[in-house]
This record gives sequence, structure tokens and C-alpha cells, in this order.
Amino acid sequence: MSTTVAPKVAAGPVAPSGGLLRRLRYLEPATLLWLLLVGALFFLVVWPVAELLITSFQARRTGEFTLSNYAAAYGRQRYVDALLNSLALGALAAAISAVMAVPMAWACSRTNMPGRGFAWLTVLAAFIIPPYLGAIGWILLAGPNSGWINQTWSLLTGSEASLVNVYTFWGLALVIALNSYPFIFIFTKSALDLISSEMEDAANILGAGTWTTTLKVTLPLVWPMMLAGIILVFLETIALFGTPAIIGIPARINVVTTQLWQFFEAPVRAEVAAAYAMPLLLITAALIGLQKLLLSRKGYVSQTGKGGERRVINLGPWRWVLFGWCVVVCVLSVVAPMIALVQASFSRAWGRGFSLDNLTLANYEFLLFGHDAARGAIVNTFVFSAASATLAMALALAIAYVVRRNLLPFGTALAFLCMAPFVIPGIVMAIGFYAAYAGPPLLLYGTATLMILAFTTRFLPIAYANGAAGMQMIHPEMEEAVRILGGGRLTAIRSVVAPLLKKALLGGWLLVFILATRELSAAIFLIGPHTRTISVLLYDLSEEGNFEVLSALGGILLVITLVFVGIGMRLIGRDFMLRRSSE
Amino acid sequence: MSENGHIGRRGFAMLGMAALAAPAIARARQPDEITEHQRKLYEAARARNEQATWYVAHYNSETAEALGRAFDEAFPGVKANVVRTTAQVAFQRLSQDLRARVQNCDVFSSTDVGHYIRLKEDGRFEKYVPENIQHVIPSLRDIDKDGYYHTTSIGTVLINFNTNRVSREEAPVKWTDLLDPKWENRVTVGHPAFSGYVGTWVVTMRKLYGWDFFKRLERNRPQIGRSINDTVTMLNAGERWVGAGPGATTLRSASRGNPLAVNYPEDGTVLMISPTAIMKGTRNPNAARLFVEFLLSKRSCEIQAENFSEIVRSDVPSFPGARDLATVKIIRPTDEEIERGIPEVRELWRDTFGV
Repeated sequence: MSTTVAPKVAAGPVAPSGGLLRRLRYLEPATLLWLLLVGALFFLVVWPVAELLITSFQARRTGEFTLSNYAAAYGRQRYVDALLNSLALGALAAAISAVMAVPMAWACSRTNMPGRGFAWLTVLAAFIIPPYLGAIGWILLAGPNSGWINQTWSLLTGSEASLVNVYTFWGLALVIALNSYPFIFIFTKSALDLISSEMEDAANILGAGTWTTTLKVTLPLVWPMMLAGIILVFLETIALFGTPAIIGIPARINVVTTQLWQFFEAPVRAEVAAAYAMPLLLITAALIGLQKLLLSRKGYVSQTGKGGERRVINLGPWRWVLFGWCVVVCVLSVVAPMIALVQASFSRAWGRGFSLDNLTLANYEFLLFGHDAARGAIVNTFVFSAASATLAMALALAIAYVVRRNLLPFGTALAFLCMAPFVIPGIVMAIGFYAAYAGPPLLLYGTATLMILAFTTRFLPIAYANGAAGMQMIHPEMEEAVRILGGGRLTAIRSVVAPLLKKALLGGWLLVFILATRELSAAIFLIGPHTRTISVLLYDLSEEGNFEVLSALGGILLVITLVFVGIGMRLIGRDFMLRRSSE
Repeated sequence: MSENGHIGRRGFAMLGMAALAAPAIARARQPDEITEHQRKLYEAARARNEQATWYVAHYNSETAEALGRAFDEAFPGVKANVVRTTAQVAFQRLSQDLRARVQNCDVFSSTDVGHYIRLKEDGRFEKYVPENIQHVIPSLRDIDKDGYYHTTSIGTVLINFNTNRVSREEAPVKWTDLLDPKWENRVTVGHPAFSGYVGTWVVTMRKLYGWDFFKRLERNRPQIGRSINDTVTMLNAGERWVGAGPGATTLRSASRGNPLAVNYPEDGTVLMISPTAIMKGTRNPNAARLFVEFLLSKRSCEIQAENFSEIVRSDVPSFPGARDLATVKIIRPTDEEIERGIPEVRELWRDTFGV
């Protein structure tokens, strides 16, 4: 292992001509690993997307080259309108999510607000509950005819008109935001957990109060993570199918994904669907460009070798105001789905509403002991999700490291590849997965590997956004210390970068894990008889109108995931920067 | 051996929906008569170690896999591989298989008649007329005059309603009743661009009453869902009171005690036909044929009825609440009318309803 040469030179792009041999001498084993990573990225992202691209240029039956799919996909005003609706919806949902999540994240990470652990758990619960149940919960609450809010309103005021209506553009955006704000919460919180108090102290010494400091120092420092979260919510909203299908269609709002599904109805036009989805990649590219622009020429490094500590900010009476805000968000995001879930999962017949003789445990009993596929699906779901979350995080951290430390040329291209799969809706991406992995030469159809690969690719963007934004906060000087003391790059990553990012990585792992447990649109295309997942089972149950058992399955999913999360939190341990005395 | 099998099934039934399944288990003990033809297929399939891979969209996973297991039990040594997905996924996978020249699928069961018209045109099917077709309700036979595909599963679209909000007397009895202004903001329907059931229903209504039917329906501001099953959810939630919905899903939910009921409309219950065909070039021709025979057998119909699927034979009792389709007025456009009509009505639908 070289101890004399600066790391950047050794691992940089290999120069041509006579210096080559000399440079090869300094080549670290880690460099091979970087190349391997690029290979993995090609295997996971480029291959399926390329298959998709090829499909988009093929005539349906003959497979000949054609441009007609693009003409069919974008040749109509209505299809273009759907795209515009999606963009507006994404922006609105992201904005609402940020308003909900940022104060909560700040309060949970840096203040003495009461009930911080509780807030954290409810955020996760909001994320775990299948969006389908959340949407139904909101229909029960805010349906214009029979919604409980409206019924109470007309009882109180005698008014015939309904107070709230979930079937509107704002209603749709709100319901989506209530399911997506955990992205921004978890990202922002993990970044806040990494900032020491010294810069806030500096602001305080110069006379700034708590609010000025927070708005001018603390929050700007975590801007990269916040922005990454906001971008993810935006992209996810564009690729989201479930909620727009349940709330958007009755509200008579057509978006990209509901439009895409129509290409899959008879006559199936998957080629047109592929053509319709490919330009969405431009949106991802544009957002990555925007992100670069917004973050350029500013420093966000908050983790240096100087050490640091973090103190809890005493909010005084304001902590109750923030607590109130958290309660409002939690009530909105958890109570609505919980109403649907609890009401239906313990009912013989959910249409009969709350009554004692309607109560039963039979739905849970049926799933756990009587259902052929449920137990297998539960095990599959958690195995696939854990495996793909781990794989995606490892890959993402490594690539984020390579990109941030400029170890390979074309870093931005690698970043784009990592983010690309997110905006392509799962059902279209699945065509690429099936073409790439299911048939020869790999013949992975029906295997767990296929599912894990697909989930890893689908959620690599989350993992990457998390890892990259985290890397932005770490100054290279600590790794350089390792290098100076003779450690290799891998040692530096293992014993410096990874521990520093531990909390952020856990946040990212959880996000991928939870999203993978919910993944439906690609799974439904790729499952075989032995690789069924809970989400596909939920879909089956919704198709047969078996809402009671569906809710019970949602409940089981919630409980098991929360147990996993609890174990994970315990393993990660105490917040290392928080002074013990201030707890 | 068989004793063990019974205990296993009985154990499963008791844990599951015991009340529903128990009589069916009793029935299951009398296996179908295996004819000479089927015995030959069975022996040939077993000798050649054949397995039938079945792409199926007709049923939910539970039912599809129960059928696969029953086939394995009835014909030990020949296996059915059940690949259950939705119709569009099944078709897309099959198309990708065909393009990659991979022969995965032996028996193809989609809910979309259009798939069969196209695949037949392309010469993708093996012609086979099952012996058991003679036991099928006559009006469901011969859907393809050349015998490439056959009805193995059916479904109905009828009027469903919430019994807490609407009494039997008030409930609509024919399709045109849905146009009554008293149902303003009370009607729920699916969307023809998302659901083949809804598409077929819309084509049928247009055929009966012209597009004017839907212009008048829009005056009642119906709630438009996606799948036809969304009507069941909306009725159960109490958000809407009456709908154009699926017979099987509504009655399955009603059998649990939900406040739902159906009316078979006087002007005609819309019938959905879901065919099955054998793929050309199958390497498991005997198993594939045997499996198609099995799908039309009594045993198969019993399993389907237990699982709230409409069945194609009238010598097997249907599920609770369902009427014998031989006693109901049935309407069904021709395959060509459906094929041609659905794209047309989708456009008209968007002009009228805006989504």
C-alpha cells in the first residue's frame, strides 16, 4: 500500500504514454472496486433501461424499427396535459411535504420538544401503511357524500353543502403529501443529526436569536439533504399510481401514470408506454442539473476533523407549539389510514361500520393460519426488502463516494444513472427488467434474485440521494488522516465515512426497506409462484373486494416493519454527538 | 395416501372459511369420471414427464393455485405450473416470450377476448376442441368457430347497491333506472379505459340505448372509479348508493355481511367471457390438453364456485346469492363489437365525462 503519494493522484484517471507503468504501480486495489461498481451500475440500470429504449422504437408485432410509438404517445393534447398535471401535482405535493416535514425534523433532531420519539415513530408508521389504505381512509373522512367530517359539519351547521372534498386537485396533492413527507423528514433529520452546535454558537455570540440562527445557519446547512428529499417526493409523485387512481380518476384528473395504465389495457401497447415514459428521464436529468446549480459554489461541509458536539435547543413554551404541529401532521397522516385499517381489519363486514357484533379477529387468524400464500408472502417481502435495501445502500454509498471524491471521470453521469430509475413508473420499468433478467442468458424468472435485483434498481435513487447528500457534509480531511497514517481507501471508508454517516445511512436503509415492502407495479410483473409479496397479495385482495382481510394484512405489515425498525434503531445506538449531560 | 390428503384438505378448510368450504370438500370426494380420451392424455403426459405452464388472469391467486393443486391431485405425476397475473401483464409477458422465442407458456387464460383475436391471427394457437365442452352451458360454446379458444370462465356486470341506503323496492331494476334524477351524486361506475368489464358494459349500453345513455348518466354526476371492483368499495364506504358492478365481487363481499345486494337487470345482465387456448409449439401438448379438459371439469367448477367465480357449467351449483344464468336475461356483444367498440367508447367517454 502506498504511503507516499496523495490519494487523488493515485486513483485518478490513468494517464496515457510512458507514465502508465509508473502509475500502475500506485494503483490501489480499491480502484478495481470502483470499476466493478460501474459494472454493477450498468448491469442494474443501463441494461434494463436500454431494453426499454429499444422497446420504445419497436413495432408491436414485428419488432421492426419505428418512431410511431413516440408519435402515438405524444401526438395528443390529452397525453401532454396528463404530463403537465403530473408536474403540477409533483410540485404541489413536494411543497406541502416540505412544509409538514422540515419543522418536525428540526424539532425532533435539535430541540427539547416533548414526544420526539413518538413523532419519529408516527412518521415511519405513516410511511409503512399501504397508500391504498390511506386513500380509502381519506374517502371515509372527507368523501363529499358520506365523509365523517362532512357529516359532522352538516350536523353542526345544518348546512347541506359539504365542507371538504377529497376528490379535488388539492385533496389529491394533500393525500399524496401525507404519504410522502417522511422522505423529507428522514433526509432532513439525518442531516441535522450531523451538524454540531459550533456554528450556531457563533451566530448566537454575534447576537442572533434561536430563530434567526435556525433560519440563517442551521437550515441552510442541511439544504442539500432537504433538496434531495424534495426532489424525491417530486419524482415519486410523478411515478405514483395508487393514489391518483383511487382519488384522481373520480376527481377527473388524469396524470402520467393513470394515462400509462391505459396503454396496458386492450389492445396492450407496451411499446407506446415505453415511449411515453422515456422522456420522463429528461425530468430527472433536469432536476439533477438544477440540484447542481442550487448547491454550487457553496460549502455544506459540517463534518470536519475538529470534533464537535451538539446541544439540545431549549425552546421554552414554543416547544408546545411545535409539538402541536407534529400532532396535527401525525393525526392527518396516521389517523386517516388507521381509521380505515382498524375499522375494516377487525370487522366481519366493513360496510356495516362500528358495532360490537361486527368485531372479529378472524381476518388476522385467517391470514396467519388459514391462508395458503400469506405467510410465504410475508417472509418473501421482508427478505427481498432487507436484501435490496442493503444492496442499494452499499452500492449507493460507494458510488456517492466515488462521485464526491472525483475518483473516476464522468461523475455526473454516474449520478444520473443512479437517479434515473426513479422517475420511470414501475410498470414500465418492469418491462425492462423482464427483458433483461427473466429470459436467457440469465433465466432468473421466478427467482428471488430477480425480485431483489429489480427492487435494488427501483430504489437505488433513494439510497443514492441519501448517500450523496450525506457525503457532501463530510470533509475529506479525516480520510486523509487515515491515509497519512497508512490506511487504504477502504479502511478510510470503513472506519471513518461509514461510522460518521451511520445515522443517515440507517435513514436511507429504512426508506428503501419500507418502499420495497410497498412496491407493487414492478413486482406484479415479475413475481413467480414462489416469489409472491405482500403488496401483490394486497392488490389481489383489493381486486376481489376483500377489504377486511386486506386491512388485516396492512396491519400485520405495519407491526412487523415497526419491530424491524425498533431493532435497527437499537443496533445503531445512541446519538454520538449529543452530550450526555443535556439529555 | 388418499386418507392423508383428506386430512390435509380438511384441516385447511377448518382454518379457512369453514362454513363455505365444508360442503365443497364433501363434493370433492366424488371425482369426475375420467374418460378414455383423458386417460390417454394422462398416460401420454406422464410417460413424457410433461408439465403444463398456465398463464392465467381469470382468477385471483388463491383460486388459480387451488385449481393447480387440484389438477396435480387428480393427475399425479403431471404438474400444472400456475403463473397468475393480471390480463395485461400476462399478455405483455407472453409477447416478450414470443419475441425472445422462449416457450414458457403452454396454456393461456386471459380475460381479454381481444388477446385471442390477435394471437389467433398471428397463428400462435394450437387448435384443440376439448371433449368437456359438451358440458358447458350451450350459449358459451363455440366462441371461436375454428376451435382455437374456448370459454373456461365467465363474469357478469349487473346493478349493485348499498342496502343501508337503498331498499330492495327502491333499487334500480333495469339499466335505464340509473338515469333517474333521484340518483344524482349517488351512482358509481368504473372506467372503460382501465377495465375490460366496464368497457364491455359501455359497449353494450351504447348498443342498447345509444350514446345518449351516457350523456344522461352524466347529468347524475356518477363517480368514476378505475376497476369495476371500485364500485364495491364505494358502495361499502357509503360514498355512493347504486352502481354498475361485478356480480362475483359484490356477492363475495355481501356474503361476509356487507350491506350489498345485486339486481340482475331486466334489460339484460352483461356477460363477460374469458377464454383459454393452447399455445402453438408447446412441448407439453398432452399435459396442456389434459389441463384444458380439467378446467372444464366438475371439480374445477366446484373450486371456482367456492371462490366466488362464476362457472361455465350448470350442473354445479354457483356461489350464494348468484342466480342460475340460464334463468336470467343475458346480453353480450359479439367479440368483434367489443374489439372495435372499446376504443371508440373510450374516446366518447372522455368527451362526455372529461376523464
